[in-house]
Amino acid sequence: MNFDTSFFLRILVFPGFLFLLFLALFCDWFERKIMARMQNRMGPSYTGPLGILQPLADYIKLLTKEDITPAHAERPLFVLTPIVSFSLFMLSIFYFPIDGANVFSNGGFEGDLLFVLALVTFAHFTLFLSGWSSSNPYSGIGAVRILTQFIGYDIPLMILAVAPALIAGSLSLAKIASTQIVPYALLIPWVFVPFMLVLQAELEEDPFDIPNAETEIVAGYGTEFSGRKFAFISLSKDVQIVFGAVLTVCLFFGGPYGPIMFGSPNIWFIIWFILKVLVVIVILEFVEAVCARLRIDHIVRANWRFMAPIAVLSFALTVLYSPLGRSLMEVFR
Amino acid sequence: MPQMMKEIASALFKKPFTREYPFTKPHLPEHLRGRQIFHPDRCISCGLCARDCPAGAIDMVQVSSKKMPLIHLESCIFCYLCVENCPRNALTESTFYEMASMSKEDLALKPTEPVLSENTVESD
Amino acid sequence: MAPEEEIINLIRSELQGNALEYNAPRPRRVSVHVRPGAHREAILTLLQSLEFTMISTITGIDLEEAVELNYHFWCGKAEVTIRTRVPKPALEIETITDIVLGAALYEREVFDLLGVKFLGHPDLERLILPESWPKGQYPLRKDWTPNLSDKFRSLRKKPVRARTTQNKTNGGSVVNVVLGPQHPALHEPERFLFKLDGEVVVDVEPRLGYAHRGIEKAAEQLMFFQDVHLVGRVCGICNVAHTTCFCQAVESVGDIEVPPRARYLRTIVHELNRIHSHLLLLGITGLEVGFESLFQYLWRDREIVLDLMEKLTGNRVMAEFNTIGGVRRDLPVSLANETKKGMSTLKDRMNFYGKVFNDDPTFGLRTKEIGILKLPEASKLSVVGPVARASGVEVDVRKHDPYAAYDEIPFDEIIYKEGDSWARLMVRLDEVAESIDIITYAVDNLPSGPYRVRVPRRMPEGEALSRIEAPRGELVHYVKSNGTAYPERVKIRSPTLANIISFRQMIRGCYIADIPAVLVSLDPCFSCTDRMAFIDVNSGQRWVWSMNDIKAKSRLEEP
Repeated sequence: MNFDTSFFLRILVFPGFLFLLFLALFCDWFERKIMARMQNRMGPSYTGPLGILQPLADYIKLLTKEDITPAHAERPLFVLTPIVSFSLFMLSIFYFPIDGANVFSNGGFEGDLLFVLALVTFAHFTLFLSGWSSSNPYSGIGAVRILTQFIGYDIPLMILAVAPALIAGSLSLAKIASTQIVPYALLIPWVFVPFMLVLQAELEEDPFDIPNAETEIVAGYGTEFSGRKFAFISLSKDVQIVFGAVLTVCLFFGGPYGPIMFGSPNIWFIIWFILKVLVVIVILEFVEAVCARLRIDHIVRANWRFMAPIAVLSFALTVLYSPLGRSLMEVFR
Repeated sequence: MPQMMKEIASALFKKPFTREYPFTKPHLPEHLRGRQIFHPDRCISCGLCARDCPAGAIDMVQVSSKKMPLIHLESCIFCYLCVENCPRNALTESTFYEMASMSKEDLALKPTEPVLSENTVESD
Repeated sequence: MAPEEEIINLIRSELQGNALEYNAPRPRRVSVHVRPGAHREAILTLLQSLEFTMISTITGIDLEEAVELNYHFWCGKAEVTIRTRVPKPALEIETITDIVLGAALYEREVFDLLGVKFLGHPDLERLILPESWPKGQYPLRKDWTPNLSDKFRSLRKKPVRARTTQNKTNGGSVVNVVLGPQHPALHEPERFLFKLDGEVVVDVEPRLGYAHRGIEKAAEQLMFFQDVHLVGRVCGICNVAHTTCFCQAVESVGDIEVPPRARYLRTIVHELNRIHSHLLLLGITGLEVGFESLFQYLWRDREIVLDLMEKLTGNRVMAEFNTIGGVRRDLPVSLANETKKGMSTLKDRMNFYGKVFNDDPTFGLRTKEIGILKLPEASKLSVVGPVARASGVEVDVRKHDPYAAYDEIPFDEIIYKEGDSWARLMVRLDEVAESIDIITYAVDNLPSGPYRVRVPRRMPEGEALSRIEAPRGELVHYVKSNGTAYPERVKIRSPTLANIISFRQMIRGCYIADIPAVLVSLDPCFSCTDRMAFIDVNSGQRWVWSMNDIKAKSRLEEP
């Protein structure tokens, strides 16, 4: 890893920070448009062509609003947690192969899948801390809910996320992405379908929307934040969704690798990457539109009675299946 | 669950139900209770409109030779009691509804001349 | 023997000398004037001898030397009013909350606005007026005017503590959480103090009065036909119900016969209003349980009704259609056909929603077996409307006390037995289907003739009580006229005031996440609930919310 200008350009601009930021804003717009069309209405339409500048307009508006810290909040935690959670989510996406190689221009390292999942767990924990430090009952309830939810669902998530590694034979994200001649979504569907549901729970989307259930506890852990801090909390949520989509794409859809038509392969990697992320977002939004919000006790019960056993069973099934899976892939090569 | 899924999937391909106002305007029914139209030539200064208004939004003001009604649109509830009760039909209905204004003085139906803009549809 | 005579004989035999005067002016209306102190006996007689008794409301009227209290009861076959006079200045009378549970809030209302003390009431506190209201000012008294602003201006600097009871449980982890008055779950401001143990609700204290506008007092300053428009603004969503009820009351006072065409037209617009209200509520339920797609679809289909209302009455929501003596517009044939077409489209959509409500698993998890109110409690608390019908109580004014054209139109009363939030929502869904049928029938069988009769401005002396089935339940208007063009007293009791008392029963033992779902299944319309005395807008008030909280204290001060 040599620290020259191209390294910093990769981290800061493309495919690093700025690119991912704009991708998060674009996915926010896309999400809202798809959700609106599913509900038979227009979605963002006035700012920019087709409303594509709407998320940017929202963030600029948030930056102009007054930034209040409640008198009884834990000041250091309250100020730092939005930025820290945003950075952690952003950092965890850096390890994925976005344009053929990850942001640090190397092939990653063995086990970076687990490293990324651990980073995300920390990021969720900072979201919990942001609610806890707000000293507001609504934030407190939201914080407790997010803790209950992600601690419960992290276990099936990790189990299911490691299942593709069995077929690929390695825990490195780049290797898992590149060995998918047949996308794992088709090869091991019994891992893919529970994974999508558990991902909904990790991303706090319907039906697992309860940490930010607007009609019950105002805004959950984000109640006391306003102005700049709220912009960061909101951005963390968007980047979280991008992270979820990117994780699914790399584990189950073959990462950025796809048929290369002409020209430089890197362009095609980016195009396929973005297209696959959008497809995953459409699936997630569809699940969100179809379901109501479940209560916290339903969610906890669903986790320990269904999700965890199903995750373990799928994992076991994948273990048995992996030699057959690998030989199937050889056939298609 | 399956009905909802079918409905949502098919909604993705339908035209959206919401319109892009103000670039497209809605279709107005004939007898929408919009802003009233005042005909000063028909007014006989009886003051029934001002007396009967439930919101107290009409003042009789002196304009040249006679007293005529000035309707304060910010208090008006558009119940059309004035339109109904006027014995000479000096106040008639219209479907004009875009009355947003930056100042309260503009929000008054003055009795100086009949107020007609390009969006009004006059009906007697 | 007519039911009215039966009731009169019953009370006459029980009370003998204590009952001073009897009156049965109209079908299904009885009023009995009893000596002060004998009202409890009269009410006990009603409760014990008649099989169904439900309190509608308590009206207080300020006469020169006394305050007249009217206790209105619906007794299955007739509305009985027990009247008694409490002499000034010692305005005290025994309470009836031990025999009629549902009277608690009504007595507090009379205490708040007229200053009558009810001895033995468990919780005689202010109901509608704010805590900072100066003592001794009773707005509904005839000598009170709102020009006493200097008394209120002195309050500008004083902070006000919102009323909370002390935490009565012995230690433990009970947390007080305030919901409101501004909260995304509430569509009108109301304050609920929830006592939570973790995520389970232990108790709740509602505080009403935030949408207080002074309509009852203002109604005495306007003439009858102007009051129709004022009364319609008690609640935007049920405005047709309020205007219909008021017009009926005034027509009873003035002995005015409404032509048959007008009665049918009133029914059509009334049912359209009901469909609108129910669809709105079902959509809000979807929003509260996180089912946003359902919310958007229901509100999109609500547009069919709103467009019809706009064509029929001139405005999407605020119909201003009724007037004393009939309705203001006619229904042309083209519009009648459009109405029928709209209704048949809506009927198909309601089949779809019926399937979703019945079968959707996530929706069922959030509404079934939650917020249960069983039949005996529902009767004791005198709840009304879909809340009562979902618990098995048969109380639909359109069936049992028909008005407008309901005695000529066939329809079914929808009763469910489960008493949970799901049942309350299903009652409303099925009522939409019934309303569609009623409208179609009414449009097909519309009688010809005039749609309005001209009435004089002055109404003869008298009083009348009119009850109708608003979308949320039984709505009661009591109008008393003193022979001039201005009413002497207008009393409005809207259905949410009767139902809010049952919220406590329903929510105990439920989780926080169930609070919005249960609250919305009650269909609270707080604009209807608070509309009593005149509040001077110049009185600056400071609210201090203090919350005793294990984790932290958070104080919001609003200048």
